[in-house]
Amino acid sequence: MKEQLSALIDDEFEISNADHLLIAAKSNGELSQAWMSYHLIRDAMRGDIPQCGQLTDRVMAALEDEPTQIAPSSAIINAAMVKKPLYKTSRFWSVAASVAAVMFVGLMLFQSQSVDENALNPIEIADNMPTEYLTAHQTYAPNSASYYVQDASFTEPR
Amino acid sequence: MSRWILACGLWCASLNVQALDDPWIVLQKTAFAARELNYQGVFVYQNGSQMRSVQITHMNNGGHELTRNIVMDGQPREVFSQGSDIVIYNAQNDKVVIEKRRGQNLFPAMFPTNLDALKASYEAKLGVVERVAGRDAQVVELVPNDGFRYGYRVWADAEFGLLLKMILTTSNNQTLEQIGFTQLSMMNTRDVDWFQPKIDARKNYVMEDATEVNHVTDNWVIANLPPGYRKIDHIMIAVPGKSVPVNQLIFSDGIASVSLFIEPIIKGARPKLGHKQVGSTHICANVVDGYQVVVVGEVPAETVRQISRAVSFRKQALVDK
Repeated sequence: MKEQLSALIDDEFEISNADHLLIAAKSNGELSQAWMSYHLIRDAMRGDIPQCGQLTDRVMAALEDEPTQIAPSSAIINAAMVKKPLYKTSRFWSVAASVAAVMFVGLMLFQSQSVDENALNPIEIADNMPTEYLTAHQTYAPNSASYYVQDASFTEPR
Repeated sequence: MSRWILACGLWCASLNVQALDDPWIVLQKTAFAARELNYQGVFVYQNGSQMRSVQITHMNNGGHELTRNIVMDGQPREVFSQGSDIVIYNAQNDKVVIEKRRGQNLFPAMFPTNLDALKASYEAKLGVVERVAGRDAQVVELVPNDGFRYGYRVWADAEFGLLLKMILTTSNNQTLEQIGFTQLSMMNTRDVDWFQPKIDARKNYVMEDATEVNHVTDNWVIANLPPGYRKIDHIMIAVPGKSVPVNQLIFSDGIASVSLFIEPIIKGARPKLGHKQVGSTHICANVVDGYQVVVVGEVPAETVRQISRAVSFRKQALVDK
């Protein structure tokens, strides 16, 4: 039946005998589709499909009207970031690494400070007299009147 | 001819007058007299609240100086010096510890024979004649040119030139330290029997643990020293109770001396900081680049403070030594 329909479109079928084909093409979905397809094919073969040229023009016109995107790739990344969970993003890991490094250095400093706690806690010599320095001074300095009497003058009375 | 003799006599007299007028010559005479004369006596030393009497016998035996000092108060202590070698007999409860020391300018030989260094930092003024230890004494004031040293008042024997008394004074004329004869006589004997310690047979005589002293020629950088002070010695001493040797740098302006101690701060040790005065002695402790710095001297507080801040050094120098 489709062959008869095709022949009718190509004027190779007697139109007086084609009533049943026309009725069938109107009622039958499949034949109706074929009818339109065959017409389209025939027009395309004849090169007169006005709809095609208009479509191309419309697409080209639409492209012209489209605003230019300067950095389309970053737009894509931004779009991706919004969608990805925070821990999956590379920026999250770089920030995390920085924080970890700072904490590590801080911990090192804190530990070294705690080792040198004594250094932060000096002895005030006004309270605790370093007599060994006085003795050495009196022993080796060239002028010291207290030389003979260093024990007497610089130790607390016994 | 008689004119010539008169002229020469006048010239010599003028020289003599000039010598007596020059306080520096009076001071220099004390330096020579203390080393060349034979004398014995008792002098008293007072510093802050402490006072001690010392009996001294000094003899110059053909160029060799022999001195015996017996400390009369407190623990028995005898100091013998022969030339620059000093031996101390230090009596303790059950033993006598024998200590060896090196030469110093000890009373009454307090002044060096060369006074050039002193002349840069002090002005000497001749004072009145006063009586000390029963003898006439010429007073000389040593006035410091700045605030980095104390002043001295010196009494020199008018007859023999020996230093009879000396006091250390602040700029307010307050006496910090004094040392002087209470009794003095010249000796005519050549006998040296006195030059031996009183041996106590009941006690053990032990040598002090030898304190190792190394003279270091390395130049440390002590920038910005107070004016007039220069480094006269740098030694490494082993201090009892310390595992590392301590650097001792000694500075002097000719009479006042300052010791600068530098040692690395051992891990776990508490550094010392601050300032203290004991009698005439000022002590300043500081920490410089991980090293303990302690400055001790019979000088004003500002002097020890400035020296403690002036220290900078190459660490390599410490490691190498």
